[in-house]
Amino acid sequence: MNAQYFDSITLTTPLDEIYRRLGYRRTVTKLSVEQKKKVERYIADALSLISLKGVAKRVAVASVSSSQVQLSSGLVFRSQRLAEFLQECDEILLMGATAGREIVEAIQANSAGDNIACAVVLDAVASEIVDKALDWIMAYFNRDLRRASRCLTRRRYSAGYGDFLLENQQIICKTLGMKKMGVVVNERHILVPEKSVTAIAGIGPISK
Amino acid sequence: MQNFRQVLKKRIMILDGATGTELQKRGMPQGVCPEQWCADNPSVIQNVHQDYLNAGAEVIYSCTFGANREKLAQHKIKDVFLINKQLAELARRTAGQKAWVAGDIGPTGKFIEPFGPLPFEEAVEIFKEQIKGLLAGGVDLFVIETMIDIQEARAALIAVKELTDKFTIVTMTFEPDGRTLNGTDPVSALITLQSLGADAVGCNCSTGPAQMVGLIEKMKPYACVPLVAKPNAGLPKLIKGQTTFDMQEKEFASSGFRLVTQGVNLIGGCCGTTPAHIRALAKRVAHRRPAVPLRKALGALSSARKSILIDEDAPLRIVGECINPTGKKALQEELRAEKMSLLRQLAKDQEQNGADLLDVNVGVPGLDEARTLKNVCNLLAVCTDLPLVLDSADGEAVAQALRVYPGRALVNSISGEPHKLKKMLPLVKKYGAMFILLPLSGKKITVDFESRRKIIERIFRQARKAGFRKDDIIVDSMVMTVSSFPQAAAEAIKTIRWCRDVFQIRTICGLSNISFGLPQRPWLNGAYLVMARAQGLTMAIANPLNETVMNMKRSVDVLLQKDPAAAAFIASFSKSPRAQKRDVSQTLSIEQKISAAIIDGNREDITGLAREAVDSKIDLGNLVNAIMVPAINEVGERFDKKEYFLPQLIASAETMKMAFDYLEPHLREGQTSAAQKTVVILATVEGDIHDIGKNIVGLMLRNHGFSVVDLGSDVSAEKIVEEIRRHRAPLVGLSALMTTTMVNMKDVIELSRKQGLNCRFVVGGAVVNEDYARSIGADYAHDGVKAVAVMKKLRAQ
Repeated sequence: MNAQYFDSITLTTPLDEIYRRLGYRRTVTKLSVEQKKKVERYIADALSLISLKGVAKRVAVASVSSSQVQLSSGLVFRSQRLAEFLQECDEILLMGATAGREIVEAIQANSAGDNIACAVVLDAVASEIVDKALDWIMAYFNRDLRRASRCLTRRRYSAGYGDFLLENQQIICKTLGMKKMGVVVNERHILVPEKSVTAIAGIGPISK
Repeated sequence: MQNFRQVLKKRIMILDGATGTELQKRGMPQGVCPEQWCADNPSVIQNVHQDYLNAGAEVIYSCTFGANREKLAQHKIKDVFLINKQLAELARRTAGQKAWVAGDIGPTGKFIEPFGPLPFEEAVEIFKEQIKGLLAGGVDLFVIETMIDIQEARAALIAVKELTDKFTIVTMTFEPDGRTLNGTDPVSALITLQSLGADAVGCNCSTGPAQMVGLIEKMKPYACVPLVAKPNAGLPKLIKGQTTFDMQEKEFASSGFRLVTQGVNLIGGCCGTTPAHIRALAKRVAHRRPAVPLRKALGALSSARKSILIDEDAPLRIVGECINPTGKKALQEELRAEKMSLLRQLAKDQEQNGADLLDVNVGVPGLDEARTLKNVCNLLAVCTDLPLVLDSADGEAVAQALRVYPGRALVNSISGEPHKLKKMLPLVKKYGAMFILLPLSGKKITVDFESRRKIIERIFRQARKAGFRKDDIIVDSMVMTVSSFPQAAAEAIKTIRWCRDVFQIRTICGLSNISFGLPQRPWLNGAYLVMARAQGLTMAIANPLNETVMNMKRSVDVLLQKDPAAAAFIASFSKSPRAQKRDVSQTLSIEQKISAAIIDGNREDITGLAREAVDSKIDLGNLVNAIMVPAINEVGERFDKKEYFLPQLIASAETMKMAFDYLEPHLREGQTSAAQKTVVILATVEGDIHDIGKNIVGLMLRNHGFSVVDLGSDVSAEKIVEEIRRHRAPLVGLSALMTTTMVNMKDVIELSRKQGLNCRFVVGGAVVNEDYARSIGADYAHDGVKAVAVMKKLRAQ
């Protein structure tokens, strides 16, 4: 199956998650009207700088052993933890998302300049939004899968978790053709622009 | 067969249940094309249809959910017409004349412009191809279902309506947060789809029936058409690593009953439901009398993500007027160059300042208005939630924009010339838009109320014949400038009053026209707004960035009881930072003001306050040590207690730094501990580019008298050690955000020890913890506040 690209993902802004990521505790943190207004302005700025794109591809699993997952395309992911995670699955969903270059440049400019407060808010918004984009992609695929009595695993797995080496970013990124979305992997296996993510979720039958 | 529409008025209509899962139970293998498999195994799908009919379904869906060009191409099937015709015929043969067959249309799997790459007209053509096959197969009605993209639902609905007048149901799929994956809420979806000509609207899939009750509750008050619900058999649950639908038939039927009592007129089942679920449902609800739609028409506008009611009881609706190139050179140039950044900014500014709708006028001499208006609508549909008012006299431009706009727009405007009425009324009706009725006919301007009244009545009679109701129309009260027409205000007010009291239709005005050619225009605009509103004005085209006008609007809403408990008024003014600042500045000493500014993170005022402190010749050493340092310490304590969160901590730290930067040249030797600064080297280790955390630590350390040498990110061990040696730094802070790079911290420490350096290391970062720090011979700091505490402790040793 070909990779499916989502050129403009529209999300409800995950405000609770953004505030939580920044350390806000609903019953404890005291925020004046002016401080709140400032944070809201930074969040609005972040949203206007984010260009949220995604991509996903279903790939059949050829075999899962105790230490590796082999895909029908011939790709092999060596990781005990990933193999354990995909034990029940006959297919996987490879997915990627990016918040785009503009937001990353704004984070860097503010962080290096004199507005780190703005930078941390932009950073939190981008991180949460890009994570939510993967939730969105999973919900999108689940909708079709459900009609065929299949579904995605609730959780997803990313390169860099446990023994699933970061080096795998290169393979995932290439398989998904993330370059089309402006995302590349650098020599240290980090996705560029920075606020980009990849992940794997398993696909299996819905139990009777 | 009975007339479908007539039957719907008399009883609850039972729809069928899930098809895919039934086919699998009956042998359809995984991964095949369900449509092709059914065509190859006709008895299986006919049995599924028959089982649903036996269970009590009165409408069965043809098995054509994925039978569009895009989906079939994934299985290398090219004859879209044939497969749709075959599958519709199978359903038709099974249903005979005892039940209705709905031609089922599902999503293409692609997003449509402006939300995706598939051109709108191509989407319409894809659906038309499918619809032609279904019509040839003999379907009675159409169902457009499981839509997450309102634009795709619109494309499919337009395709149906351009080919047939058969009854058409549209159901969207909503997520647990109450919106579709693309962000459309149920009321906006309803407003857009029913005005575009859907005969019934509702929801299917995604949630169980209990969750769907909330969606139907939201839709019902605004529904002019019957409502539909086709829920899953409960919410999917994870049991022993497997997802399952666990709602049994009886429970499903009870929840279905609740949906019917909330106003659903057509009900069936989606994923996980079986003929047994439909049998139980039919038994439970079939005897109920249906709740008829509450309205025949609705004054409301929508975008893809928001709807606005145009109602006498609602607050005055402000249509932002700023997207208009008349007299705006920059906007004219941008439109000519097909750039959109200024437009985006104008939309954002108006939305943030309280506009309810955005007027869009792109009339620039020499510009292709149709093309430009369409492009601008596509842009605004993505970058603002506000519904649009299409402001153009060019019929072709309005037609193109209405076709692609993913909501219900307001057309500004239609005047009384017969040729215009003939062209514009059917066009606006086709796309379900509302329109502004302009009481003008020909070139002569009608100033007096009586002339206007006659034109309004005449245009309305024509509009009524075209299918419009008063709820679909807003009358322009035709405000003209009082500098040329002294009686203009009075005549417009008469028009507004007559529209409210006699003709019972809503009104709008172009507010700033009243003051054209006069000085101090906001006062005249504001005064007129209050007068007109008191006489019944429903909407005003105005500049939302004008504080006077917006405050008048908020005030008059309170006084006319259109703002319950003055909630919007209070919220608007409690947000005003200026009012608060004035209060504070009048009562505090300069020391208190500086302390408060640091604690509040007031970067905007701190340099001015520091200047005031220097000018007032107070003891600056005392200011730093007795006022500013305790203030920033208090911020740290609040952060520790979680009373402050990260942006507050940093804003305070930055405020402190700005104050200090200003004061430092004025401080005498020994007035602050800054004179004995301890050098700290900071770096994000090799391989890691994340540096916000490190920058925060640097900021905090500087505020506490450390001399920070920040080496940046992705710094090699050799470079860090070289800098430690060069600066003779006793303290080093290392940061890493990834498990793959945190190991490089150890290399830095080992290299420094090898070279005989005895500096102390403090490490931090998302993946680093106390144990890891200890294992490599370093101290650990969880955040900026802790980093300061640890560094201070180490400095004291």
